[in-house]
Amino acid sequence: MLSFLDNISQSLDAYLVLAGLLFAIGSFGFLARRNAISMLMSIELMLNAVNLSIIAFGAFNPSLNPYASIIALIVIASAAAEATVGLAIVIAIYRNKKTPLVDEYDAMRQ
Amino acid sequence: MFFLPSVVFAAEAATPVAADAGIYGILIPLIPLLPILGFAFTALFGRRLMLKSGRTAAEIVPLLVVVTVWVIAMAVVYPALTHAAPFGEKGLDVNLWTWIPAGAFTVTMGFHVDALTGALLIVVTTIGMLVHLYSVGYMAHDKGTWRFFAYLNLFMFSMLVLVLANNWLLVFAGWELVGLSSYSLIGFWYHKRSAALAAKKAFIVNRVGDVGFALGIMAIFVNTGTMNIQASLAKLIDPTTTLTVPLVVVALLVFCGAMGKSAQFPLHVWLPDAMEGPTPVSALIHAATMVNAGVYLVARANPLFAHAQEAMVVVAAIGIFTAIFAASIAFTQTDIKRVLAYSTLSQLGYMFAALGVGAYVAAIFHLMAHGFFKGLLFLGSGSVIHAVDGEQDMNRMGGLWRKIPITHLTMLIGTLAISGIPLFAGFFSKDEILGEAFKFGNYWVWGIGLVVAAMTAFYMWRLMGKTFYGESRVDPHVAPHVHESPWSMTVPLVLLAIPSALIGLVLTWGGPPWPQSLGGTGLLAGWLDPVFAESELYLHGEAAAYDLFGIDGRLILTSVLVATLGLVVGIWLFGILRRRGNPERVQRLTNANGATRFLYRASLNKWWFDELNDLLFIRIGGRVAAALWWFDRTIVDGAVNGVGSVVRGAGGGLRKIQTGRVQNYALGIAIGLLVMAGSFLLIVGQPR
Repeated sequence: MLSFLDNISQSLDAYLVLAGLLFAIGSFGFLARRNAISMLMSIELMLNAVNLSIIAFGAFNPSLNPYASIIALIVIASAAAEATVGLAIVIAIYRNKKTPLVDEYDAMRQ
Repeated sequence: MFFLPSVVFAAEAATPVAADAGIYGILIPLIPLLPILGFAFTALFGRRLMLKSGRTAAEIVPLLVVVTVWVIAMAVVYPALTHAAPFGEKGLDVNLWTWIPAGAFTVTMGFHVDALTGALLIVVTTIGMLVHLYSVGYMAHDKGTWRFFAYLNLFMFSMLVLVLANNWLLVFAGWELVGLSSYSLIGFWYHKRSAALAAKKAFIVNRVGDVGFALGIMAIFVNTGTMNIQASLAKLIDPTTTLTVPLVVVALLVFCGAMGKSAQFPLHVWLPDAMEGPTPVSALIHAATMVNAGVYLVARANPLFAHAQEAMVVVAAIGIFTAIFAASIAFTQTDIKRVLAYSTLSQLGYMFAALGVGAYVAAIFHLMAHGFFKGLLFLGSGSVIHAVDGEQDMNRMGGLWRKIPITHLTMLIGTLAISGIPLFAGFFSKDEILGEAFKFGNYWVWGIGLVVAAMTAFYMWRLMGKTFYGESRVDPHVAPHVHESPWSMTVPLVLLAIPSALIGLVLTWGGPPWPQSLGGTGLLAGWLDPVFAESELYLHGEAAAYDLFGIDGRLILTSVLVATLGLVVGIWLFGILRRRGNPERVQRLTNANGATRFLYRASLNKWWFDELNDLLFIRIGGRVAAALWWFDRTIVDGAVNGVGSVVRGAGGGLRKIQTGRVQNYALGIAIGLLVMAGSFLLIVGQPR
């Protein structure tokens, strides 16, 4: 059972590097893209990067194992909720403004 | 109903006898209540009534009101003066309700009627009634008659509140209200610029005195903790009271108010200008009643002044100085009403001199006599002005005695009364003031007073001569129409001439009019004795008995001689009946040498007092005010506006970083996070 796990890396660093890369890609996407949908997707990427690092710490440190699983589950749940609300807001704004580009949402600027 | 018990309690606490007031508990509040109702009615409906049903309809209510008030007042005055049942020697307190219940500061709305109030009530209601009647004729051609009568009723209300009040606060309210009604009536013909300016001048000059009076009332409250007049005066002179403010200061502050209202030097400037108002107003407010308020105030506060003798010297000095100062101006004025105005100043000065030497009864005596004969003289001058079609310059009158005989005769009585000719009112009252000043050792007051008596007789005869005798200088267009005034004007003249002639005789019936404690047995002495006896005894002790064939007789003889001298010089220069005056001789006398020329110019220009005020307050004061305005505008406002614009500028600069773009904020968060994490690693997370 779960024999494929035998083939994965036994080094914590590899996981953390992957998580860091994912987070960097997410940050870049969030800062550089103007499309609201892309920005939401970038947020998901960052959340998952954080989640990956938490799971990795949990897997390599038995004493953190139960907490890591719980925190990861909570992050997944709140990420789902956030994505729902975020998408709903984006769609609502899109209906008014006819554009997904966030720099054109400037109604509150003086 | 909820607060009723506390009201009853307060009334009981103030005077235990309040319950025994009986019918007077209703009559006394009615005295001021009726005129204010008359004012409200006339102010609200008078114009409509006058347009719809003629001027009589608008005049009837105010007229009825004052007649009713006169009747009620006489019913109250009689027992008050004779110290009958509910009044007694100390007077009657009628407390209506607790006006201001604020802890230790409790003021009861109420009236106090004693003999002094009674004496004032006689003057105010009698002259008020006659002036109302006179105004029916005098204002017959005016469009605003209803407004005039409304104001007159308002004035009656204010003056009655002032004399009836039993606490300082109510006195002050009445004090300000008479000022307001005086302002409205001086400026009654407000479309005339001079009248509007005179009204403003009267109001502003009065404010100067009122500041002092207000401070005086506060000082009285600080010293005694009560606003009730009788209680606070008793406490002020009680040696066990600890005084926060010295008595002299309190007395001088109160006198400051009296100076403003009674137009004493240097606040006298408003009264002559107040003659811009209609003549009945000059008679009622600026001769017979309102200007007496200051005299009444000092007389009412007589225990305070008696125990602050430095203040009394000031009162006497200012009084006698105003008397001679104003008399000197009256010498050369040509406006008939202005001569009378300066004469009023001079006579008020006499009253203050009397108060200052401690001759309180004499002061009130002169107040009453002066109220009648000066009211008469003013109404007479109004009748003259009416006859010559509004002309007020005496150089354009003359020879009127045949054409307006009733006016002439009544004014002649008034002139003899004010000059102090024996058996007329002024003789008794003025002689009383001079005699007491002499006997109490104030020889300077007596000496100056004698000179003023001669001056008074002279300038009054100048007025008579220029107005009634000699050849006519009336405008030829007006001359054929000169006519005696209607009955509504001549009846008040006759009714005022009777007391002007007889009141002195009546009030001194039975003996000299000073407190019984000093040997006085006259009618007025008996009335006013309880009010002044204590102070007079404190000031003078037991005085020598009245001695008609000794010192008193000689004093009377002196003052009569002096007054006659003034009168004879007046007749010599200005004529009588068919005998003509001698204008060339007047010319020669005024141009005799440099000194007389200077005096003539000084008198004509009122000793340059208006110019001095103009220099002090308009020019120099205006400069100071302009400088202060500049300071306020640039420094004070500059500081405030500076703070504002600095904050505004900073806000505007900082606003630019709030772009409203999500990514900018996110970048800020990311950079901030990096900086924090980086610094954490650098400081804490150094590899071991």
